[in-house]
Amino acid sequence: MSEFIRTNGLKKIYHVGDQRVEALKGVDLEIAQGDFVVFMGHSGSGKTTLVSTIGGLTRPTEGTVLIEGKNIWKLNDSQLSNFRNRKIGFMFQSFSLLPTLNVLNNVVMPAIFNSNSRKKDTDALKSKAISLLTDLDMKSKVNSFPSELSGGEQRRVAIARALINDPEIILADEPTGELDIRTEKEVIEICCQINNVYKKTLIVVSHSLTWLEKAKTTIVMKDGFIYKDLADPVQAIMNGVCK
Amino acid sequence: MKILKLSILELMRRPKKNMLIASSIVIAVALLTSLSIVSNSANLAIMEIIAKTGHTLTVRPAASSSGANAGGKGQEYKLTTSEVVLGSYIPEAAVPEIMKNYDEAIKAGWEKKGGLVSNPGVPGVVLEPATWAPRLFEKAEVNGQEVIVTGIELRKEYFVRFWWNLTSGQWPADTDIKDVNTNISTQYKLDSHGNVVIDKTSYGVDSSGRIIAEEEKKKDKVAPVKPILKGWDDAYLGGAYAKARGLKLGDRLAINKTEFTVRGILEETNSADDYMVFIPLSTAQSLFRKEGLISLVSVRAMCPNCPVGDAMVELNKNVTGITAVSQLDVAGVQFDFFNMLYKFLLAVVVSTIAVGIFSIFNIVTGSLYARIREIGMLKAIGASRSQLFRIFIYEHFILGLAAGIIGYLLGLGMAYILNTLLDIGAVIRISTDFLPRALILGVVCSLVAIIYPAYKLSKLKITETFRTQWES
Ligand SMILES: Nc1ncnc2c1ncn2[C@@H]1O[C@H](COP(=O)(O)OP(=O)(O)OP(=O)(O)O)[C@@H](O)[C@H]1O
Ligand SMILES: [Mg+2]
Repeated sequence: MSEFIRTNGLKKIYHVGDQRVEALKGVDLEIAQGDFVVFMGHSGSGKTTLVSTIGGLTRPTEGTVLIEGKNIWKLNDSQLSNFRNRKIGFMFQSFSLLPTLNVLNNVVMPAIFNSNSRKKDTDALKSKAISLLTDLDMKSKVNSFPSELSGGEQRRVAIARALINDPEIILADEPTGELDIRTEKEVIEICCQINNVYKKTLIVVSHSLTWLEKAKTTIVMKDGFIYKDLADPVQAIMNGVCK
Repeated sequence: MKILKLSILELMRRPKKNMLIASSIVIAVALLTSLSIVSNSANLAIMEIIAKTGHTLTVRPAASSSGANAGGKGQEYKLTTSEVVLGSYIPEAAVPEIMKNYDEAIKAGWEKKGGLVSNPGVPGVVLEPATWAPRLFEKAEVNGQEVIVTGIELRKEYFVRFWWNLTSGQWPADTDIKDVNTNISTQYKLDSHGNVVIDKTSYGVDSSGRIIAEEEKKKDKVAPVKPILKGWDDAYLGGAYAKARGLKLGDRLAINKTEFTVRGILEETNSADDYMVFIPLSTAQSLFRKEGLISLVSVRAMCPNCPVGDAMVELNKNVTGITAVSQLDVAGVQFDFFNMLYKFLLAVVVSTIAVGIFSIFNIVTGSLYARIREIGMLKAIGASRSQLFRIFIYEHFILGLAAGIIGYLLGLGMAYILNTLLDIGAVIRISTDFLPRALILGVVCSLVAIIYPAYKLSKLKITETFRTQWES
C-alpha cells in the first residue's frame, strides 16, 4: 500500500500553568490509503491529540504531518481550513449539529465554507446530501431539526456531514461514545461501509472492543507513544504495553 | 446556504440575549435622535423667524433691564421684539441718529464682505433703508385693571410686525402695506438645514425697501408729523386680552379715565402683544405725559442676511444712552436654558452609550463563549478565521441596523415628548437627516462590542474548544 499519511517525530507539549504535559512524545506513524485504523489506549494516552494533529486541528510542538507528501502544518489559516474542508471528514462527538439548521442544511453546511463552491452546485450538493442520508436510512428525517432526533440519528447526520465534500480521510474520535450496543453496532457497520464501499481511509479512536473485530490496523497508545502490530492489543492494554 | 443566512439563523436563536443587547443600543440611538431633532427643530424655528422678519434689532434705553414680559408664557422666543421696557425712555429725536448709524453699519458690513455676509448675501442687490417702529410702554388703568398700554405708530408698527392680523375690525384705510409684507415674507424660504433660500428675481422686482422708501416720501409730503392713525382714540387689543376681558369691536375702554373705542382685535401671536392694549403713539405720549419720548425702537432689516450683528455692535459703540439687541442674540439668550439642558442630556447620552457598549461587550463575550464548541465545530469542518469573523460581524451588523431603525423611530416619538416636556414650542420636523446617523451609531455600537471577542474567538485553537466538551 502507498504511503498516504505520515508523521515524523510528532511531539505535543501542553503548558497548563507551570505544568508541562507531554501528550505526544515523538510519534512516527504511517497510514496507507484505504486503511481502517483503530486507536486504543488508556484515557490521557494522547489519542485525541494525535488524531487532531493529523486532522489539522492541533498544531504539533515538534515534528511533521505529511498528507500525500504535503506538510499540512506549513499551510496558512485559509489553506489549512480548506484542507480540513476538502480532505477530512470529522466525526467528533464534540462537533455536534447546529440546532438552528435542519438535517439537510446541517449536512450541506461544510459547503458554505468551501471557497470554490459555486451557486449552480447547490442543487447537486442537496441531492448528494439526500442520497447520503438515504444510504444512512435517514431519508424521512431530512427536514427534521437536531432536537427532534435520537442520539444515534444525530450521529448519522454527522456522518453524512463528514462525507458531503467527499473527503479522503475520515477521522472519528469515539464515534460511538454514549451509544447503546445496538446503535453502536449500526454505526460501526456504517463505518465499515465507508471504508469498504466509499473507499475512505478511516481513522477511529475508541475504547470499545467491538471496533477491533473490524479494524484492518490496530494501534495502541500509551503515555504519548504508539505501539503497532501487537499480537494481542486487548491484552496489551489490559496488562500495560511496555513492562 | 450562505454565511449570511447562517448569521441570521444564529441571531434568531438567542432572541432574549440579542434583545438585551439591542435595547441598550436602541436607547442610546433614541436619545441621540430625539435630542438632535428637538435642537434642530428649535434652531430651524429661530432661523425661520429671522428669515421671515428679516432679522429684527431692538433698540432700548441703556438703563433698562430686559425681558419683563407682559404676562405671557415663560419661554417666548417667537416674537422677541415684543419685549416690554418700563420706566426708561429714549428721546424720539434720537431715532434719526440711530437709523443713520444702523444703515451705515449694515452697508459697511455688507461691503466688507464683498456683498457676502455671514450667510451669503445677494450680490448686486441694492440695500434699502431699514424700516423701524417706535413703541411707548406704560402701565395704565384700563377699565379699572392694570394693563400695559402701548403707544404705536400703527402703520410703521404693522410694517415691522407684518405677521399681525386682525380677527375682527379693520386697519385704518391708509394702512395698505399688506401686499408688500406678503411679498417680503414669501421671499425668504428656508431649506431643511435652516439656510435661507433666496429667489433673486423676486427680490429684485419686489424690493420691499424701495416701495417703502417711496411711500415714506409721499407720507412726508402729506403728513410729516401726524401719526397715520386717524382717530386719536382708536384702540387695538391683543387677542388674549380681548378674550379675557370679553371685549368686542366698538366697545368703549377707559384708559386712565380717558375713553377709547375698540377698532380691532389682533390675532394671537404667542407674544407679549397678546396681552396689550395699543393706542396711537401721540395719544399715549400726551396721556402719560411722555411727550417726545419712546420706550424702544424695533428695526427690521430689509435684506435676508443683513449683518445685523455688525449694526448692533456699531450702535452700542456710537450712540449713547441706548442698548441695541439683535433678535438672534435675544433668541440665543432665551435658548440658553435649553442649550444647557441639551448639553447635559448629551453628556447623559454619551455616558449611556459608553456604559451600554461596556455591558453589550460583556453580554456578547458571554454569549460567544457559550458558542465555543460550535465555533470549534465550524472551524473543523472548514470555516477559516475570516469566515468565522464574518459570521459574527454579519450578526452584529444586522443587530445594530435593526436597533438603529427602532431607536430612530423611538427617537422621533421621544422628540415630541421632549418638546412638550421642555416647552420649547418649536414645531418638530420629521426629517430623514438623522436616519443615517442613527443607523451608523447603531451599527458602530454593535460592532465595537463584537470586534474584540470575535477576533479572539476566531483565533481560538480548535482543541481548546472541544476540551470544554460534553456539557450540552
Ligand atoms: N488543550 C489541552 N491543554 C492541556 N492539556 C491537554 C490538552 N489536551 C490534552 N491535554 C492533555 O494531554 C494528554 C493527552 O490527552 P488526550 O485528550 O490526547 O488523551 P486521550 O487519549 O484522547 O484520552 P481520552 O481517552 O480520555 O479521550 C492528557 O494528559 C491531557 O490532559
Ligand atoms: Mg480523547
